[in-house]
Amino acid sequence: MSTTQTHAPALELRGLSRSFGPVHAVKSVSLSLYPGEVIGLVGDNGAGKSTLTRMMAGTIRPDTGQILVAGENRTFETAQDARRAGVETVFQTLALVPGLDIAENIFLGRELLVSGPLGDMTRTMDVATMRRRVQEGYERFGLGLPDIRTKVAGLSGGQRQVVAIARAVLWGSRIVVLDEPTAALGVKQTELVLSFIEQLRSHNVAVIFISHNMQHVMRVADRVCVLRLGRKVFDGQMSALTGTDLVALMTGAATTVEEVKTT
Amino acid sequence: MTRQQILTWIQRNGLFFALVLLVAIFSFASSRFLTLPNVTVILLQNAVIGLIVVPGAMLILCGLVDLSVGSVAVLAAVVFGQAMENGLGLPASLLFGLGVGMLWGAFNGYLIAINGFSPIIITLGGLAGARGLAEFITQGYTTYGYGPEFAFLGNGKLLGVPVPILLFLLVLAVGLHFWYRAPLGRHMIAIGGAKDTAAELGIPVKLVPFWLYVASGVASALGGLIVASQLDGAAVTIGTGMELEVLTAILLGGVSFTGGRGSLFGVFFGLLFVGVLSNGLIQINVSPYVEQVAIGAALCGAAALDMLYQRLERLQVPIDKEPIEPVTQGAGGGQ
Repeated sequence: MSTTQTHAPALELRGLSRSFGPVHAVKSVSLSLYPGEVIGLVGDNGAGKSTLTRMMAGTIRPDTGQILVAGENRTFETAQDARRAGVETVFQTLALVPGLDIAENIFLGRELLVSGPLGDMTRTMDVATMRRRVQEGYERFGLGLPDIRTKVAGLSGGQRQVVAIARAVLWGSRIVVLDEPTAALGVKQTELVLSFIEQLRSHNVAVIFISHNMQHVMRVADRVCVLRLGRKVFDGQMSALTGTDLVALMTGAATTVEEVKTT
Repeated sequence: MTRQQILTWIQRNGLFFALVLLVAIFSFASSRFLTLPNVTVILLQNAVIGLIVVPGAMLILCGLVDLSVGSVAVLAAVVFGQAMENGLGLPASLLFGLGVGMLWGAFNGYLIAINGFSPIIITLGGLAGARGLAEFITQGYTTYGYGPEFAFLGNGKLLGVPVPILLFLLVLAVGLHFWYRAPLGRHMIAIGGAKDTAAELGIPVKLVPFWLYVASGVASALGGLIVASQLDGAAVTIGTGMELEVLTAILLGGVSFTGGRGSLFGVFFGLLFVGVLSNGLIQINVSPYVEQVAIGAALCGAAALDMLYQRLERLQVPIDKEPIEPVTQGAGGGQ
């Protein structure tokens, strides 16, 4: 599946730890993510998935450990820092405004103005260019979405998810962290999201796919990283595992599978 | 056209056609109705409300409200009047009047937008407080007689068009630009519809409403000064009930009171609808008491229609351009 691991990792986590009072939510977790790779991050409730996600998103800071983006050490003080570094996290809340259309949502907060001092002074938006860019993105990623002028309120859950992810990649993020993107979606909607994630892989975007659903992980992930009680208990090629193995690792029924490092 | 497209089209333009219908009925009933002088009168009577409506509609789009507009208008007029009495001269007095509006707007904005106080309570306080202050300053006496230069603001004409109408059209044009052509329009919808998301995306969710309150204060003060100019006196009755007229135009225009949805063109038609309705009823000699009832009925009717549109919108199925999924999706928005 993934063959591009000769390059430097797009994102590298080194020994990240975070405690909340006496609770060690994440204990020294390291993880490397390469361009064009999809990593499934799985774990039972309380395994430390959300804490790890939030550290990557910049909403909480690790107690110890480093986050390296394209080999560079970065400190994320805020969510904006993470985004600026090119790590985009799409939470389940999606951060979309239902009353605006798809193109408006994708450019929300980063609207393009008509170039020149007049456009700057009058704050006139360059609506045509914004729409064209979104349309180009539709074609580049083969997005199965309705017309760009459809209000998000009229989209299904899966389509909204795709819009939220598309916004991240259209803005040039090379690393996308997806927090339970298929939770509460029907079969067709899930398919829409999963096929889009596969598209991302072919566009060299690195994806961390957090999910409870083993079938979805096995479908899109090249590698899988299993967390249990704050520790990484497995990190290796998806192809080497069955769903039963994964569940065993998650629940702790099989702790014997030691760290099978990828090469 | 599909049924959905027809519904959307009716929803977008319904008020406009109601307005056209209303104009047609009144033109039929009264030969004086659709004449240039009468149209000018309608616009002139609604110009002051109109220029306050523009920032007011923006506040409501953000999910906020300014009820203090009428009281700020009278306070500005009274402060202007006192400044004139004390011989500060016209330019300085005008600045005092507008400055009071700006300060009151900043006060509202500071408490509501920055510190999260309830917009209804704070501006209701302003509704009582600013008028009370105006009455206290004047002790109930009206100052009057500010000379012909000031009279130009309310009664003058430029190129044959009354100055208040020009001011209203100017404010409306600026408002339309910001609503539809500047990032502000989208930001206001985001603030009113999904504030947390807006904040997450780096939209200034506090500063936008703050400046809108300042704009509302300044517009109210300008409105108060125009009325004072028309009366040639800073009467303490200026702006009574103005907040209701402003709200009626905005809500009739289809801006959702909870924020996040609305069109400034709709608000403009809402304003004209009320103006045409009251003028037309007078033209056909209907008792002025009925006029209020008619406006109230129109507002309730608009609310009912809005409810209906929202239901229809929820049922709307997105029109796929290149459907990737063979099966039609279920009800939109279901997650």
